[in-house]
Amino acid sequence: MLVAGRKRRGGYRRIVKLTLRIWRQRGPNERGGLVTYQVDDISPDMSFLEMLDALNQQLIMAGEEPVAFEHDCREGICGSCSLVIDGVPHGPDRGVTTCQLYMRRFADGKTITIEPWRARAFPIVKDLVVDRRALDRIMQAGGYISVNTGGAVDGNTLLIGKEEAETAMDAASCIGCGACVAACKNASAMLFVAAKVAHLATLPQGKPERTRRVMAMVQAMDREGFGSCGNQYECEAVCPKNISVRFIALLNREYLRAGILGTKMPAQSDPPHGESY
Amino acid sequence: MSRVKVFFNSSVNSKIVASLAGLGLTGFAIFHMLGNLQVFEGSDAINGYASILRDMPILLWTARMGLLIVAGLHIGLVIRLALRNRQGRPVAYAVRRYRAASVASRTMVLTGSLLLFFIIFHLLHLTAGLIDASAPDGLDIQGRVDVYGKIIHAFRNPLYVGIYFVGQLALGLHLSHAISSGLQTLGIEHAALNRLFKLAGSGIALFVVLGNLSIIFAVFLGLIRA
Repeated sequence: MLVAGRKRRGGYRRIVKLTLRIWRQRGPNERGGLVTYQVDDISPDMSFLEMLDALNQQLIMAGEEPVAFEHDCREGICGSCSLVIDGVPHGPDRGVTTCQLYMRRFADGKTITIEPWRARAFPIVKDLVVDRRALDRIMQAGGYISVNTGGAVDGNTLLIGKEEAETAMDAASCIGCGACVAACKNASAMLFVAAKVAHLATLPQGKPERTRRVMAMVQAMDREGFGSCGNQYECEAVCPKNISVRFIALLNREYLRAGILGTKMPAQSDPPHGESY
Repeated sequence: MSRVKVFFNSSVNSKIVASLAGLGLTGFAIFHMLGNLQVFEGSDAINGYASILRDMPILLWTARMGLLIVAGLHIGLVIRLALRNRQGRPVAYAVRRYRAASVASRTMVLTGSLLLFFIIFHLLHLTAGLIDASAPDGLDIQGRVDVYGKIIHAFRNPLYVGIYFVGQLALGLHLSHAISSGLQTLGIEHAALNRLFKLAGSGIALFVVLGNLSIIFAVFLGLIRA
């Protein structure tokens, strides 16, 4: 209310002028580079993505190619937006995605460097858009539970403790944006995998496939070319959902447990009821 | 053989074994420091301690071989992981800002390499006695190897004090990240004990380094004399 009042009565509106250094790259195999743009007439109430929209309008009017960047919900829940802003994934604010970052956070006349997520597993598609399907392939390897379809189960048929539900929910709040990979010195996806493994391993529905899941997901993670975790916790510091690195310890425990138990049955047994195939 | 390869192709398995090996080496560093503190008790104590170790050659050499294997495993796995990690991001960021990573965690490769060179130097210097020709290699009154004399001779020399000081700095930085990191890799974390686990890293690092440095500077400043 204060801001709105000031705007109307004061008769002035703070307008921010910015210099942007943006990574431009025509396609996956093209050479890219940082290109400098000037934007003025940026309202502090604009989100970072709206500021880029304004820049793109400017570029389109000038007959230039607009900057490609990914976005969808613009309310911090879809995990589409990315951008490394001045060396920090999702920018200077903590616990928010780029779409929830507002221009009031930046001083007038500032130079902002905008880069894509950088990882071997996230090849650049164009400009600031990267291919994050590596995370989907990790999910396909084991980030699910197998259930029979049919009528919906009655609520609270399967009792889950408050603590377990809370822990699972904390892990499940991962939106799969990949900021953890972008922030990690080694481009490791451990926080992502940890969140997914922890989410399902904590709940009874995830228990039957618990052992196989963690093995398959870590194997898929390694296959995609992500680095390994060095426990620097940069991932936690940039995660828009504040996912704790305690889940990485949980993932390590799950992996150790699976390694010790093994994924196969102890011995080949006869088929049940004397059936023969 | 292929089972071993499959096992170590998993980054998490490699990390678990590397951290177990690293924590083993940390254990050695603690006992090595505590044993050396006997310098403060005088020449009889430290020479006696050294001769007890040397009087059990099978135990001594088994321990030495064990340490060598553990160190080799740690170094080999960590180099392999570091090389793989470097491939994780082929194009570097133009601007990079760290938020959480400690100085120690960012210099693990550097401090680890320094530590390796320091350990090789230390073995050649005080264990094998090949570096300093002027060092006394005599026996004490009771006919035991005069470790006390060697230590006094070495740390009177500012050159060796400097080298050992840098070595201890590398050790301290390396351990301060390594211990808590190793615990995390082994999945050892607990809501109530996490602060303790975090403190264990810098605490043990400080304990070992201050213990070792106390010997070096006590000799250099003349608090311990021949």
